[in-house]
This record gives sequence, C-alpha cells and structure tokens, in this order.
Amino acid sequence: MGKQVDILQGTLDMLILKAVSLGPLHGYGILLRIQQISRDALQIPQGSLYPALYRLEHRGWIAAEWGESENKRKAKYYRLTALGRKQLKSERKEWKRLALAIADVLAAEPEEV
Amino acid sequence: MLAQVRSWWRALSGRPRLDEEMAAEMDGHIERYAADLESRGIERGEARRLARVEFGSLAAAAEECREAVGLRWPDEFARDVVYAVRVLRGSPAFTTAAVATLALCIGANTAIFSVVDAVLLRPLPYPQPERLAQIAAHVQGKGGSGDQTNLTGRFWEAIRDGATYLDRAVYSESSMGVNFAAGGKADYVRQQRVSANFFHVLGIVPLVGREFSVDEDHPGGPAVTVLSYALWKRAFDGDPAVVGRAVNLRGEPHTIVGVLPANFQSSIPADLWTPLRPSATGEGGGSNYAIVGRLRPDAAWAQADAQIEAVGAPLLREEPLGDGISARLRLMSFQRGITEDLRRPLLMLWAAVGLVLLIGCANIAGLLLARAAGRSRELATRLALGSGRAALVRQLLAESILLGLCGGAAGAVLGWLGVKALKLLALNRLNVWQTVELDWRVLAATACASLLAGILFGLYPALAASRIEIRAALGEAGRGVSGPRNPWPRRLLVASEVALAMVLLVSAGLLIRTFAHLQGLTPGFDARNVITASLSLQDARYATSEHVNRLFQQSLARIRELPGVESAAVVLSLPYERALNTEFRRLDGRHVDTEDQITNLFYLTPDYFQVLRIPLLRGRTFTDVDNANAAKVVIVSEAFVKMYLRDDDALGRHLDFGGGDRSEVIGVVGDIQQKSGWGEQFGPVAPMPAVYIPAAQTGDRSFQMVHTWFAPDWVVRTAGPPEGVIAGMQRAVQAVDPQLPFAGFHSMEEIRYRSLGQERFQATLLAALAALALLLAMVGIYGLIANSVAERTRELGIRLALGATAVQAIRATALPGVALALAGVIAGSLLAGFASQLLRHLIWGVQAGDPLTFGSVGLGLLAVASAASILPALRVAHLNPADTLRQD
Repeated sequence: MGKQVDILQGTLDMLILKAVSLGPLHGYGILLRIQQISRDALQIPQGSLYPALYRLEHRGWIAAEWGESENKRKAKYYRLTALGRKQLKSERKEWKRLALAIADVLAAEPEEV
Repeated sequence: MLAQVRSWWRALSGRPRLDEEMAAEMDGHIERYAADLESRGIERGEARRLARVEFGSLAAAAEECREAVGLRWPDEFARDVVYAVRVLRGSPAFTTAAVATLALCIGANTAIFSVVDAVLLRPLPYPQPERLAQIAAHVQGKGGSGDQTNLTGRFWEAIRDGATYLDRAVYSESSMGVNFAAGGKADYVRQQRVSANFFHVLGIVPLVGREFSVDEDHPGGPAVTVLSYALWKRAFDGDPAVVGRAVNLRGEPHTIVGVLPANFQSSIPADLWTPLRPSATGEGGGSNYAIVGRLRPDAAWAQADAQIEAVGAPLLREEPLGDGISARLRLMSFQRGITEDLRRPLLMLWAAVGLVLLIGCANIAGLLLARAAGRSRELATRLALGSGRAALVRQLLAESILLGLCGGAAGAVLGWLGVKALKLLALNRLNVWQTVELDWRVLAATACASLLAGILFGLYPALAASRIEIRAALGEAGRGVSGPRNPWPRRLLVASEVALAMVLLVSAGLLIRTFAHLQGLTPGFDARNVITASLSLQDARYATSEHVNRLFQQSLARIRELPGVESAAVVLSLPYERALNTEFRRLDGRHVDTEDQITNLFYLTPDYFQVLRIPLLRGRTFTDVDNANAAKVVIVSEAFVKMYLRDDDALGRHLDFGGGDRSEVIGVVGDIQQKSGWGEQFGPVAPMPAVYIPAAQTGDRSFQMVHTWFAPDWVVRTAGPPEGVIAGMQRAVQAVDPQLPFAGFHSMEEIRYRSLGQERFQATLLAALAALALLLAMVGIYGLIANSVAERTRELGIRLALGATAVQAIRATALPGVALALAGVIAGSLLAGFASQLLRHLIWGVQAGDPLTFGSVGLGLLAVASAASILPALRVAHLNPADTLRQD
C-alpha cells in the first residue's frame, strides 16, 4: 500500500461521479473502484461516503436502484444521470484548470516574480 | 431544482422507508467489507468489529444522509413539536388558561372577520367586480366629507349622455313589498326597480329570456318584469316557457321577459325587477336614483373619473351648497358604494376585536415570562448540555405557536358559534346582503391570526429566556432572596393591557351613552296600546286620491267599530321611521324663500294626532272639513317652527310645496322622533321638522309617487293590549278590498325598539368586547401580583420576621399593581382620546371627549385593578415567617 492522500473537500463528489460513470456500482463498490483506480492512493472515509451519495442523488446527478449483487444479495446500485455526466465534465475541466494553475505557481522561479 | 424538490418530497413522504433503506444499505456495506477482510485472513468476529469501527457511527452517517436530502428542518421541527406537546401537557393549568384566553380572542376575531369579509372584502359576485363603479356626489365641507350615492334624474340624464367611458345604468336603492299573483298563487314579494342595461352593466346574462330594453324603460312604457331564479322555481316550477306569460303585480298584469341565474344577488334583496323608467321630474325630481357604471375595456379609471366630474360640474353649480362646501361627482368602487353605511361600524368592531386579541397576547406573554423563570433550570441544563441558544428559542417558539394553533382551533369553533349568534341577533338589521359564513377565507385568516399571535406572544419571552446565565440558574436552586429577575417586561405588558382595555371601555362607554341618549329622547307621543300595520298601495287600482281616501275612510270606519278600539287613523310614515322628505318655499311672513328648503312630509287622516296623543300646541287640528274642495291647510311641528318660522307668527303663514298651491299653516304640534335621512345636524334619530297634510287634500300624482317608495300605516289605539284587534283589522280591510293583505303588525313600542337596532347592536357588542378586555387585563394584574408573592415568599418572610406588619407587607406587594394600572389608565386616556375622534361619526348626544365617560372608566379601572392587586397580596397575611425561611 502506497502513501495515502486525504481527499480534499468537494473532490469526493467528483470522484464518485467518475467512478459510477464507468458503470453502475453499489456504495462499497464505489469505494473499491476509487481505491483500485488510484492504486490505493486515495482513501475515502467510509462514514462520509453515504452522505455524499445521498447529496448527489438529491441533486439528480446520480440515480439509485435496488438490484442483486454478485453474491445474490440485495444492494442499491448508483448510476450516472445525463445531468451528472454534464456535471462531471464541468468539474473535470475546473479541476484541470486548478491543477494547472497550482502547477504554474509551484513551478515559478524567483526571477519570474 | 425540480429534481431536488421531488427528491425532498419523496424523502419527506416516505420517511420510514427511507430510514429502512438507509440502514439496509449501510449494513450491506459493512458486511461486504467484513467479508473482504475475512478473505484476507482475519478471523470472522474480528473482521466484523474492524469493519464497524472503520465505518464509524452509523447513526451519525444516517443523520448526515438525511440532512443531505433536506430533512434537517422537518426532523428538527418534528422533534420540537413532540417536545412542545410534552411540555404543554405537563402543565395543564397554564395550557388551559392560555388556550381559553386565545379561544375567546380568536373566536371574537373570527366571528367579526366573517362579517367584515362578507361585506367589505369579498369581491362582489359579478364578473370583473373591480371595474364596477358607483357614481356619487362627493361633498366636502369644513366639518368633514361624505358621499351621496342617491342622485336626481337630471344627474342621470347628464351621465347617460356624457359618461362615454362607462357602461352605465340606474336603479332604485329601496325595495318595496308588493302583492304578486300568478296562476292562481298569491305571494308577497320584494320588488326592485332598475333601468335597461342594469344587468348587462353588472355582467349578468339572464338565464331565460332577456332584460329590459331601452324601449321598455321610459315613462308610460309596457308593463314587464324579470323574475329571480327562486321566484321562478316557486311560482312556475322552473318552466322555461315562462317568457311572455303574465303575472299580476300590484293588481296590474305584467309580462315576464326574463329570469335571472340562481346565484344572482342584486344590490338589495329582491324577488323580481320592473323597469325604473327614470325621468327628470316626478320621482326623478328628488335624489332617488343610484347609478352604477362599468369601465369600458379601453378606458382607465382616472379618465372616467375626470369625465364624470366634468359632466356633473354644471349641475352641481346650481345646487345651493352653502359657504365653504364644495361638491363634485366621482367614481367610487361599487362595493364601497353599496356598503358605505356599514363601513364605519364594521371597521370599528374589527379594530375592537383586534385590540382584544392584542390584550390576550400580552396576557399570555406575561404568563410565558413568569413560566420561563420557573423553567430556568431546565433551560440552563439544556444549554449546558450543548444545545444552541437558537435551538432553545426555536423550541420555546414551537411551544407558543402550538399554543396559538390550539387556541385558534378552539377559536374557530367559538367563531362559528359567534357567527350563528350574530346572524340571529343583528344581521337582518345590518342589511348584509352577501351571505356571512365561515368559509375557507375566514378560516385561513383565523389560521394566520393564530400563527401570528403565537409568534407575537412567544417571541419576546423565548428570546428573554434564552439569555439566562447557566451557572447562576443551575446554582441558584430557585430560591434567591432577591426574588425574580428583571420584572419590567412583564410590568410593561400589564400596563399596556390596562391601556388597551381603557380604549375599549371608553369607546363602549361612548356608544352606550349615545344609545342611552337616543333611547331617552322624549318620544313625543304615547306608544302604549298602539298597533300598526302597513299596506302597499303601489297598485293600479289606487291611482287616484278619491280611491285612496275611500279605502282609508271605509276601512277606518270598520276598524273603529271593533271591540276594544279607541281610535284609528292612517299615516304616511310612523314615528321612528324614515319619512318622506320634500322641498318647499315660504311665501310670506318674515322669511320669504327664493330657494328650496327641505322638510319631512306626512299625509294623514284627521284623527292621527289624537290616536298617538301628540299634543296640539297652537291653532287647530284637521277636521273632515279640510277636504279636497276646501282651502289647502297644513300643520307643522315645533321643530319646523324653530328651523323655518323663527321669530314669526307660525299660524297663517303660507307654504308652497312645488305645485304652485298656497297651503296655510293652521296648527303647530309637538315634536316626535324620526329616523333622519337628511341634515348633518340630526342624529340617527331626532325630532325633525315635519309638515302634516290631510290625506283628503293629497293629489293623485303625489299619492302615486310616494306609494312607489313608502307604504302608509294604519295606526290603532286600543283600550287594552292591542294584539286582540289584529284579526279584526285584517277582516275590516278584507271587507273593503279582498286583494289587500296587511304586510305585518307591529306595536308602536316594537317599532321604537327596532329603530335603534343598529345602535343597540354596536353598543352591546362593543360593551361585551370591552368586558372581555377588562377581564383579561385584570387577570394579567392578578397574575403579576400572585406571581410576585410566590417569588418573594422568602423576602417577605424575612421582612415579617424583622418586624414588618402584615399590612405593610401587603401594601408593598400590591402597590406595583395599582401603580401599573395608574400608568395604564393615563396612557389609555391618551389613546382613547384618539380613538374617540375616530368614533365621532357613531356618537350622538355626547361629546367625543366626554369627561364623565373618561372619568368613570378611569376610576372604575383603577378600582378593579386595585382589587385585582390586593386580592393575591392578601396571601401574605397567612405567611408564617418561620416556615418561609425553613423552606428550601
């Protein structure tokens, strides 16, 4: 397990949207997928996952449906809605802009200022 | 946004399911995680424990989820309400007192508001009622202003020809009971006279047939009628082929041209309508027409108003108005036009119940402040346990709003009873023409009033209670020697209650004095053992003076023969009723007129003064000699002499009543009371100037004209109780004319009683409200002193132990109550002075600033307030100093 990063406030929403954009997942599945994609770099506090999911569903960005999981147990599956897809796109753009800006700031040499 | 509302609503409406799903989802999560951990080789029990620990508090997560879907507010709300119910049930005495107070106050408000709403606020039941206008002459004098909605035929003609921005029609404000016969059925119905286009202007399309055409609406036009839906159902079983059929109205056949829809209500209650046939002379020579207009679609209100003013200006210039008085025609809203006379009394009552509600709120606020002191430990504990002050305020407000709503619900029930009582008592007299009922509008207003009341009386106590010092409150153990915290807010509330009660008591006092003044006016006649009955003579068979007088003579001759009858006469307009007014000129003597004067006019048969025992002061009364062929004679009242023949020899003067005839004054009689219809100087009932003319000398045209508005009365004096002659009178008239039924028998005493109906109603209702206000204010003072005795028990005990006498202790306890009452009375006098100015128009025979009323109300209030202060203070006398000091 590599070094873990605390998740910035607000980025959790984006990560969840991204995770479910790849296909419907239940809550625990989302957790696993984010860990898997980030190669365990990102650790999500489990208690804050569900409030985030309910918040996103409340906003209409993801939709939930009860279905059967891999081991024949009932589970609530989340999928991205059209609204959510738009939101993910704009958040990704925002993130890139922010990351670029921060990179610029950090790369600045003394004589450039 | 929509998605959020939907999700919120889903969450709110399916809360048990939401909680269940949430739990299932999180349990599933933990189990899956535990299974993963297990598969990594951790022992099963330990894996489950680890999964649970890492997830954290399930309850906290669930709480956050619920907040995420917008359930925080409803959750807290539900908690507050549940807690409030528990608190209120825990102190039944307080809850009962507060709910009962509110129920009374809100019940009174509900009942009065239902009348105010029906009369003043609810839109008229016509399409686009806001475009309907009443055309009125607005008279502006030095003393005030007023709107005269009855105009002469000349005004109507000018408006008809000149007011192009309006669709306009003219109608009569007075309805007449008339005899109606159709298909063998006879009925007594109310008839209103309206011009062509009247229903069109109101926006009403007849259900069957049509309304009057312009061709039918002129003097000498065909006899036609329009029926109300109810009459159509009653007389014709709703037969749609009724148009063209004839009904007999006042002995004359009329052709039915239309039937109005079921829900139609005219400006006055009526069963059928006939053409008004307006003209500039005859009826139209007097102010007998009301004019309604509907703003044309392309016209603006201001435009039409300016046009009306211009149309009326030349006619108003000819009116003798007097110095400093100006008049102009103007548009007023139709609703206002037809409810003008009820406006002031209703607004007064509305304000009065509003004040009572304020006093009630002040009372409950006082109770809450006192309770907060007793609850300081509970509140401090909650604060100490981490509850926010905002949450505390919210909780306390929830309690008071719940109280408000409970009081409101009970008040709605009381209001419903109140509306029934009002209808029973007075509504027929108040001439309310829209149905008064407790509908959703009234209930919505009641709900708002209760909610606002809850916030009004709860907000300050809640804010004050939340400012407690935790440590002091928890440490004090409720037995501070120095007594309560700041007592001033509650004292201020009590003083304001007294002030508001003073306003209501003074207003009620002024109205009661007005009523007593009117009631106490010398009637000027002997009302005992006199019975009266009226007959409508708006009848084709009574178009000539000869026929009318023959009816009078023959029926009176038969009535006089009845056993128990002492004397009998016929008169146009009884005492205490509104009389016909007419214009006249003085032809000789010290005053000779070049302009018309106004007086009340009565025709009568010679025995009238004898029947009512009205004293003859000078000259002679009429005899049978004063008939159609003799010289014209009149008798005038003393008030007439004072007003028009001052410093002159009344007897022998000649008057002209417009016909060019000279009528000689042959006698002067004492004044009797009459309901006033003109003259700013007269109260609602006053000895008005009166001119009496013999019926035998009244002309055909005069009879026809007055009988369209007024029905003459048969007046009979009996030896004993007069009820015994009713059947005999009925038979006597039937023997002369079988088609004439008396409209109703009333004793003269009953007519006198009824004439002051509105004044009696206003005074009674306001007195009841003032009594309620007084009771509430006194309960407020009593509560304040009783509370301070309870809070200061230890202090008083120490004082007594140190040698203070019981009297000193009682005085010290009761004094604040008396002082507050005094302050309240002083502030209340100022407010009442202002209020009495607003009541000016309802007060007669007593000054608005009447010192007797103000003084007796102020002293009375102080006396009652002292009693309310001393009573609870007497408990001090029973205190045992030793016990109080030992008390924990």
